[in-house]
Amino acid sequence: MNLVSCSVVSNHEVSAGNFLITLQVPRSFARPQPGQFVHLRVGEDIEPLLRRPYSLEGFTERGALRAVRVYFSVVGRGSGVLARQEKGTKLDLIGPLGIGFTPRPRRVPILVAGGRGVAPLLFLSRRLRERKRPYVFLFGARSRTDLYGVREIRGGRLHLATDDGSIGYEGSVLDLLEREWTGARHTPLTAEIFTCGPHGLLHAISDFARERGIRCEASLEGPMACGVGACRGCPVPLLPGPDSGRYPAMCVEGPVMDATIVDWARLP
Amino acid sequence: MKPSLEVRIAGLTLRNPVLVASGIIGYGREYERLVDLERIGGIVTKTVTLHARAGNPPPRICETPSGMLNSIGIENPGLQGFLEQKVPILRELPCAAIVSVEGEDVGEFCELVRGVDGSGAAHAIEVNISCPNVGPHGLRYSTDAGMAREVMNAIRPLTRLPLIAKLTPNVTRIAEIAQACEDCGADAVSLVNTFIGMAVDARARRPILGTVLGGLSGPAIKPLALAKLWETVQAVDIPVVGMGGIARPIDAVEFLLTGATAVEVGTAMFANPALPEDCVGAIEQAVAALPSAHVEDLIGALEVPEGRGVIRAGKAARREAGRHAS
Ligand SMILES: Cc1cc2nc3c(=O)[nH]c(=O)nc-3n(C[C@H](O)[C@H](O)[C@H](O)COP(=O)(O)OP(=O)(O)OC[C@H]3O[C@@H](n4cnc5c(N)ncnc54)[C@H](O)[C@@H]3O)c2cc1C
Ligand SMILES: Cc1cc2nc3c(=O)[nH]c(=O)nc-3n(C[C@H](O)[C@H](O)[C@H](O)COP(=O)(O)O)c2cc1C
Ligand code: FES
Repeated sequence: MNLVSCSVVSNHEVSAGNFLITLQVPRSFARPQPGQFVHLRVGEDIEPLLRRPYSLEGFTERGALRAVRVYFSVVGRGSGVLARQEKGTKLDLIGPLGIGFTPRPRRVPILVAGGRGVAPLLFLSRRLRERKRPYVFLFGARSRTDLYGVREIRGGRLHLATDDGSIGYEGSVLDLLEREWTGARHTPLTAEIFTCGPHGLLHAISDFARERGIRCEASLEGPMACGVGACRGCPVPLLPGPDSGRYPAMCVEGPVMDATIVDWARLP
Repeated sequence: MKPSLEVRIAGLTLRNPVLVASGIIGYGREYERLVDLERIGGIVTKTVTLHARAGNPPPRICETPSGMLNSIGIENPGLQGFLEQKVPILRELPCAAIVSVEGEDVGEFCELVRGVDGSGAAHAIEVNISCPNVGPHGLRYSTDAGMAREVMNAIRPLTRLPLIAKLTPNVTRIAEIAQACEDCGADAVSLVNTFIGMAVDARARRPILGTVLGGLSGPAIKPLALAKLWETVQAVDIPVVGMGGIARPIDAVEFLLTGATAVEVGTAMFANPALPEDCVGAIEQAVAALPSAHVEDLIGALEVPEGRGVIRAGKAARREAGRHAS
């Protein structure tokens, strides 16, 4: 982890309100793992005050050039400022931060994405493809225009779901997961789940996994101040269990965590 | 002449007047790679309580215009955990380590001061009688001069380390509390802790913080903090450590001019970890411009035109008198 300056290589709106920004980083920026994030200063001004945490959608290295990609939605002040940053603008970021996804050997990774939660899973799927590991990618969104990155998903089996039925299965990606699990006869010993998306969806997926004893890692989101474990502003509530007397910090013990021990009802 | 930035707070000599505030960088290690601690005066640790605390349920923080609210609830490993896990880290720090403590009653304050004193790792103790986030106890000590006296009187005989009483701004007359601490042996006071604040989500009809109320910090509070500092430096003779909203390097100079012997950098460090070092740079520049090139001549050097109806009392008045005499 380091504080590094970066410059905007490109920043464009891939669908209404959703942007892909590429930031060139120096060599002192360590190679990130899928699921790790960067804490980005979105502009030079004092306003907005805090950095914004973003998962990495990808990392590229060509010769001496390193760049990270972030896929983000405009939802407020900070992301609004970020969306207006043009090519050549200098920003800075702290990263790579946190703990990423940790697929185990010899198990089929089932990646379950909801909406813009697809970003870190695209990174993971590329990594799996590089390692020639087969995987399953289940991707749900409101509509076909929100299905960012589907053409990127290669080397794995892809199933789509949309709320409006504009493409793929009409309904929730959770239904796709249930079908996949029974249809392909996965067992907790042969497959595991990696997921990111709205917390409601992650809650449902973690219930599905816990009931069946499936290993399931989810990438969490929440407000962060320092991003490095110092301020204790990002507590993750846990279900009753051996570890429930404390609040792990999402920024250092996450953002990717064992979904089955998170108390989603208490996580805003 | 090389500018001299060294300041003293009782027995504590700081290489320069810039500290990091409590609760911002933990115990130093978390920010190891982001701040060059050799370049700043020191750090104040996250407040340590007698028993370990898990802290408050989420959400604990919320950004507000030019500021943020927090209700961390002093998540910390407790005195025992501090001694075992954090003291070894503090020993390695290349700057002063000021340990912040807070008790729920006088007895706890005493145990904490004894423990921290005995650890040998602290250069000073910041006595947090000001946290807004731990229910009735914290605020009771911080808003009542009588209680502040009780705590200071009890802990003063227990240590020779400099004691810095950290004050809350959530009072009508902060100078009264500062004077009470001075009377009872505090070597310095530091201020301000956060202002009590609240944020509401209108759509959800809910308070945003899990605890409803939290502490406001960041640039939004800087004018409020300067006013409290101004009030305090005129009322006491002991050094005052100023903080609240420092976000640009020059802000640190403003605090020194207003009368702070040292400053603590807080919230704005989350965005810019280099801010404390940049503050040192700004102070260095300001000091270099002084004929004496000594930081002491920056401290309290605010020029207030006569006849502005400003109340002058305590230190400021005495300094004034001294200047006229010489
Ligand atoms: C580990 C991690 C990875 C993330 N990855 C992505 C990503 O890949 N793409 C993406 O679009 N978004 C991602 N987010 C969410 C993103 O950080 C927020 O959307 C963003 O901070 C909102 O800032 P804003 O100023 O636009 O919104 P505002 O609502 O104006 O923000 C106000 C404050 O609340 C905080 N905040 C509000 N919502 C969130 C949230 N959901 N998560 C964290 N902080 C929040 C902001 O950081 C800010 O401090 C991630 C969050 C985390 C914690
Ligand atoms: C996240 C956070 C945690 C804090 N924790 C403590 C604490 O444990 N003890 C304490 O005395 N002050 C604590 N403070 C208050 C700061 O030390 C400081 O007094 C206050 O934030 C004002 O300075 P600032 O505006 O520069 O941040 C905390 C502040 C923040 C933002
Ligand atoms: S954001 Fe500060 S501890 Fe996680």
